[in-house]
Amino acid sequence: MSISRPARLVAPAVLADGRGLSGGMLRQLFIGQCLVLALHLAWMPAWLVGLALLVAGYRLVQLRRGLPRAGILLRLAAVGGLLLALWLQFGTLGTMDGLVGLLLGVYLLKLLETHDRRDARVVVVIGLVATTVAFLHDQGIPMAAGALLAVAWLLQSLVWLAGATGLRQAWRETVWLLVLSAPLMIVLFVIFPRLGPLWSMPQMDRASTGLTDEISPGDIAELSRSDARAFRASFEGREPAPDERYWRVYTLSHFDGIRWSRATPEQLAATLERPVDAFVREAARSPWQSQEGARFSAELLLEPDSRPWRPTLGTPLASGERQRYLADGTLEGLTPLSSRSLMNLSSSGAPPTSPPAAGERWHRLLPESANPRTRALAERLWRESGGDPDVYLEAMMARFGEAPYRYTLSPPRLVGEHRVDDFLFDSQAGYCTYYASAAAVMARMAGIPARVVAGFLGGERNPDGHFTVRDYDAHAWVEVWRDDAWRRLDPTAVIAPERIEQGARAVDDGAEAFLADARFSPLRMREVGWANRMRLEWERLEYQWQRAVIGYQRESRRSMMAQLVGWWREAWDRLDALLPGRGALSTTLGLMAVLVVAGGLALLARRGWRHRRRQRDPQWLVGNLQSWLARHRLAARPGESPATHLRRIAPQAGPAGRALEECAQDLERLTYAPLEEAERHQRRRRLASRVAEVRRRLGRPGR
Amino acid sequence: MSVAGAATVGSGHRERLRHWWLRRLAASMEHPLPQRRLFLIPTRFGLGWAVLVVVLLLFGINYQNSLAYGLAFWLFSVGVVVLLRGWLNLLGVTPALRLPREAFAGGEARLGVVLRARRDRTALELRCDGARGRVDIVEGLGETRLALSTPRRGVQVLPWLRVETRWPLGLVRVVAWVRHDSELLVWPHPVEEDDVVAPQGGTGLEAVDFAGLRRFQLGDSPGRVAWKQWSRTGVLATKVFSIPPRQQLWLDYEACRGDPERRLSVLCARVLAHHRAGDRYGLRLPGVTLAQGEGDAQRRRALDALARFSATRPAGVA
Repeated sequence: MSISRPARLVAPAVLADGRGLSGGMLRQLFIGQCLVLALHLAWMPAWLVGLALLVAGYRLVQLRRGLPRAGILLRLAAVGGLLLALWLQFGTLGTMDGLVGLLLGVYLLKLLETHDRRDARVVVVIGLVATTVAFLHDQGIPMAAGALLAVAWLLQSLVWLAGATGLRQAWRETVWLLVLSAPLMIVLFVIFPRLGPLWSMPQMDRASTGLTDEISPGDIAELSRSDARAFRASFEGREPAPDERYWRVYTLSHFDGIRWSRATPEQLAATLERPVDAFVREAARSPWQSQEGARFSAELLLEPDSRPWRPTLGTPLASGERQRYLADGTLEGLTPLSSRSLMNLSSSGAPPTSPPAAGERWHRLLPESANPRTRALAERLWRESGGDPDVYLEAMMARFGEAPYRYTLSPPRLVGEHRVDDFLFDSQAGYCTYYASAAAVMARMAGIPARVVAGFLGGERNPDGHFTVRDYDAHAWVEVWRDDAWRRLDPTAVIAPERIEQGARAVDDGAEAFLADARFSPLRMREVGWANRMRLEWERLEYQWQRAVIGYQRESRRSMMAQLVGWWREAWDRLDALLPGRGALSTTLGLMAVLVVAGGLALLARRGWRHRRRQRDPQWLVGNLQSWLARHRLAARPGESPATHLRRIAPQAGPAGRALEECAQDLERLTYAPLEEAERHQRRRRLASRVAEVRRRLGRPGR
Repeated sequence: MSVAGAATVGSGHRERLRHWWLRRLAASMEHPLPQRRLFLIPTRFGLGWAVLVVVLLLFGINYQNSLAYGLAFWLFSVGVVVLLRGWLNLLGVTPALRLPREAFAGGEARLGVVLRARRDRTALELRCDGARGRVDIVEGLGETRLALSTPRRGVQVLPWLRVETRWPLGLVRVVAWVRHDSELLVWPHPVEEDDVVAPQGGTGLEAVDFAGLRRFQLGDSPGRVAWKQWSRTGVLATKVFSIPPRQQLWLDYEACRGDPERRLSVLCARVLAHHRAGDRYGLRLPGVTLAQGEGDAQRRRALDALARFSATRPAGVA
């Protein structure tokens, strides 16, 4: 006899007992898990998908067969297995990847013990946290769109749990919630103060700039195989010409006979027994260089990198924030970048003019016994140039331009002890690293201080004016100390000028190595006009997104707020000038009056809309007519249906009789007969006109 | 003993305070729920949601992650919008009660609740005296019945109706208490006597003696139509039977045995039995006498008298 819960009203999310979850709700949760997992999948081990399917399959079998719930032993075993698998995958659980894997695993396993509404809500909340954690991997537009989808789905699950009774209703409510809350979200996003990190958190370990600490012939060719983005830049004022786009990242001043390696300020300080601040200083502007030569002012959007390197066009002069300025004219950030971030930079566009902090001798060091053939060549050239370093360097560069040397992205491998000899006299084929290495060695052999600079050359200019520099733009060249300044020598410019003008893709020799690892890269479609336009358009959008949304941190917030305040002032002044009375009070009153009038108009429009919609309803029309009749002493009798009422009074109504009859007939047809939409529409219109006719004829005095 | 006494005094005081407070809070029946009588109370999940937003915000701050900031702000804004949506879901709902027609002690009474509103409403929960129900208002109307337990005979004062909703996300509970003075008259629990008196007038209750024919009227039972007559004359006629004189009897409180409640229960069972049998009966209770009569009205009068009878009256001790 108990009817405590009428069947029609049982919420589909919850079983009839009011507690247990229905199979449909579990499916909802599972799909939510899949969406959240999809956000992580490019960075996380793929076996997590298997785990999700396994757990869902177990729950499915359990529900179908009516098996008991997962016991404590099974759950403990599952968590243990998860920890073991993560440990095998990452070697430790302490890294960020391990922690994210743990979060995802727990999220998936939680479905095992999800039995009532509360459990389901916990699952959804973990899903929201996992969605946020996915932003550590990437914050691009695709990730944001995927996250939006996942969040919408999770919210929709919550709407089901709150008692939705249909799919349409659940989605409508979800969309309402998202749409109504979006404006407040945007306002908060813009005005909320951006703080620095409150405490240090484990960071994702991501190296995206493909440069390494050491250069031995072979490294940069690897980079030319990749189309990963290194950084983007947009310039205020003058943009650099193609042959000015030398982005310095770091210098290599130590040569062991085979490879060039970098000496950090700390290593230099320890080796040369001098204080560290002789090699690096933390400041907002460069302490090594006079500020006069600033030629380029750029805003750089840097990719996340676990190393603190910052590319600079020429020598860095000043930046918006404090940075580490190295004495060799390069720049480092204070911390590695865990996410993309913006940096303002003004730079000279030329090699530094500060004297070598490590001393000229340090830049002449060479192993005595290595590369004897090169040494003989250097001695010969030195003799021929009559001991003039400038003539010597010119002769050296001219020699590179001669026929046997060619520029190729896939040179023969060099494995010998005297690699510079092997390259210069035997293989005679290579790319920037080979030539830079050989040129620096030859300069040092003549006693000229020299170092190799690693960085990027070039960058693709998007039609909207920003430059994208990719891994395959990586480059190495040489700087020599002449006449109280470092001078740039780029042997590549002699051998393959097209590399300088058009970038690595212009090199024909060994072109199969270019983008070899990016088989499906849209960059391969450069020759197809529409595809290239679409790619550039997408990159422009992505760049704007990264700059405006992802890069919206302290600096950009400050300028945005200043801009907003400026707009407000301007609007206020304009309003002040527009209104007759002067002063803050009258302006405020005027503003309020405008708002009130606008609100009133909106209300009126809404009422009119509602009225119009109701007028199409036959019941409402006839009901209205009946109350009009009642005021004219022709009221319906108690219990009388509208159609009967109209028919009854028709004979007494004289000229309106026919219209009343037709009203009654149309009302009955519209209410009960299964009509085609066209006929329904026609009858509705006829009913409306007949109702009006009845009023007209009956309302006329002297009827 | 004294401790117990103090406790009851304390709880009584608290009860009065609570009552006074609730009276200030409650809305009235048959009127749209007004703004000032709706209360927003965060649920435990709502508090959890606040913690979630703070955690996501800290995440955004510590990782300088704009999208995490954005999601934290969005979830916060959703929380704010939920307040509005939940409040609008309950605002303007007009509640009405439909009291059950009959309720016996020891059973359940089905209290009908009708909610009306112009817009559709979702997932409204009702609570009254421990009974729960859920209503959706579709096309202006939603109704449900709450199963109230009626443990005791007599006038049962119904507590206020609580209408609440956790729509749309379960973050917040919008509550309205609805004041009313409906009361439920609970009839005694019918108990058959142990030594059942032979069913009075078991025979002769059926109308069997043929008394003649009359013209057929709409609504006459087909079993009583004189089909033979029709086949012969073509006129539909109905057979009329004479009804034997019914028993006329008195149900007397004094004649029953046992404690007062048991006597009332027995009387209740007898009223039901005699009503079923179609007898004319009257009821004599100490201080109350109900004249003989029959039919539904008599049954209701008799059972109401039994329900209202105050057994502690000294007149009951004969």
